[in-house]
Amino acid sequence: MIKAILKKELKDVFGSPLIYILAGLFCFMMGWLFFNYLQQAKNLSTVNIGQAVITPLFGNINFIFIFLSPLITMCSFAEEQKQHTLDLLLSSKLSLFQIVIGKFLAYFSMIFFMLIFTIIFPLILSFSGYNDWGVVLSSYAGVIFSIMAYLSVGLFCSSLTDNQIVAALLTFCFLLGSMLLVITVNATNNYIFALMIQYLTIPFHYEAFSKGIIRSYSIVYFICFIGFFFMLTIKSLQSRKW
Amino acid sequence: MMKYAIETKNLRKNYANHSALKEISFKVKQGSVHGFLGPNGAGKSTTMKILCGLIPQTSGEFHIEGEIGFLPEYPPLYGNMTVDNYLEFVLAIQKKEVSKNKIKDVKEKTGLKTVGNRLIGNLSKGFQQRVGIAQAIVHSPEIIILDEPTVGLDPVAVVEIRELIRSLKSDHTILFSSHQLHEVELLCSDITLINQGSVLISGALTDIQKKFTTQKSYKATIAHFDEEIKMKMIKEFNLDSIVIEGDVIEIFPHNTEMKKDIDQRLLITHYLAQETIGLLEFNEKKLDLEELFKRMTIEGV
Repeated sequence: MIKAILKKELKDVFGSPLIYILAGLFCFMMGWLFFNYLQQAKNLSTVNIGQAVITPLFGNINFIFIFLSPLITMCSFAEEQKQHTLDLLLSSKLSLFQIVIGKFLAYFSMIFFMLIFTIIFPLILSFSGYNDWGVVLSSYAGVIFSIMAYLSVGLFCSSLTDNQIVAALLTFCFLLGSMLLVITVNATNNYIFALMIQYLTIPFHYEAFSKGIIRSYSIVYFICFIGFFFMLTIKSLQSRKW
Repeated sequence: MMKYAIETKNLRKNYANHSALKEISFKVKQGSVHGFLGPNGAGKSTTMKILCGLIPQTSGEFHIEGEIGFLPEYPPLYGNMTVDNYLEFVLAIQKKEVSKNKIKDVKEKTGLKTVGNRLIGNLSKGFQQRVGIAQAIVHSPEIIILDEPTVGLDPVAVVEIRELIRSLKSDHTILFSSHQLHEVELLCSDITLINQGSVLISGALTDIQKKFTTQKSYKATIAHFDEEIKMKMIKEFNLDSIVIEGDVIEIFPHNTEMKKDIDQRLLITHYLAQETIGLLEFNEKKLDLEELFKRMTIEGV
């Protein structure tokens, strides 16, 4: 059953010009950033190429998807509500979880497609002797976990409204707001409170991944974060029946 | 024993500020076409959504004998999909296996054979409505619920959709709501009339019409008629009155004469058929659905 909705969503995603426009813009921005980081790295003798290019490059990928994820997920449920097709899905044999997972996997495939193009950057570095593939892989893992979290927020926000723009803005505000929590951490003198707040932010967990460190609690955090927003999305869809 | 496809008992639906359904109880006979009537906001769509499991009832119960195919008021269509892909998708989410033959059959039944490769968004409203009906029957449900299937269509498309519904009659039980009362009269054997969340009347259309016909009358179109003939007829046939409107007269027989109305019709038509009057047309006037709808929902009879 998930296959049916996944197939339909994939057709929608890859049949729309949006993905190719976004992928084109994304590749252009990443290529430009990569070139600049390489130029800067030439002048630095104390740091290695991983710290000078790979870490900021993946940091930027992560940051750019805060803007791209709302654009990708804004149609998911808002459009279904607008064209009255959500009732078709809700009255079918599909469970709410299957509907959410199907859409999530389709959007993740879209992101995966865009990320594939970034493999070229570590490959280019490898020609000049870079071989710290552990950092590259953990950075990819960090980026993928973060983007999955962004998508889960986007799906939830889209289920709240039938207006795509509102859905995109809600997602963006939520993601940006969660980033700004870090400022709250800096403002407080309470160490425990600061630790708790820090733990709730996505950048804190991503940071370790970007350094090549994979912490089990960060993986647990991302799984819980995504699961929590899946649950909220399901509740939001259920609330249509109240 | 009569078998029912749908049975509802005291269905109630309350929202925060108002109750959409108060007491909805009615039965839909298996194999029948059942009209579900009521003014806007009466609770038709809410009842249909409850029956399809899209929203839960606050209280009361209902029993459905078999699977349901549902066409909501706004057909759930993906404009960027072709008709074939859309029907395949609907079949896949309603049943596990997708059969190309099934889709072919449904397209043939609903007259979509020629538009299988076209995008739904590019089809006319009439064809889109056909696609909506096709998605409701593609998984072979025993019961089809159609919420205002002819709304917003041009007269030609209305006739086409009516014929389509009529053709589905043999394989399915159909419950459908409509504002086109003439439509309901032509298609339905039974009706349920609701207003403000309550059932006003439910049953066989002919029984309801009989029940609410308080005074029988005959309408005749005649070539020549005047007061003298009118008085003569009233006296001769013991009539209550005759109303003249141009070349049409409405004859109200005396209530006591109604038992032998067949004889009376023969006598009256025979009388009107004489050369000096000239009978052109003669009908027994029945209470039409429009009048019944008006009387029950507006006048509150």
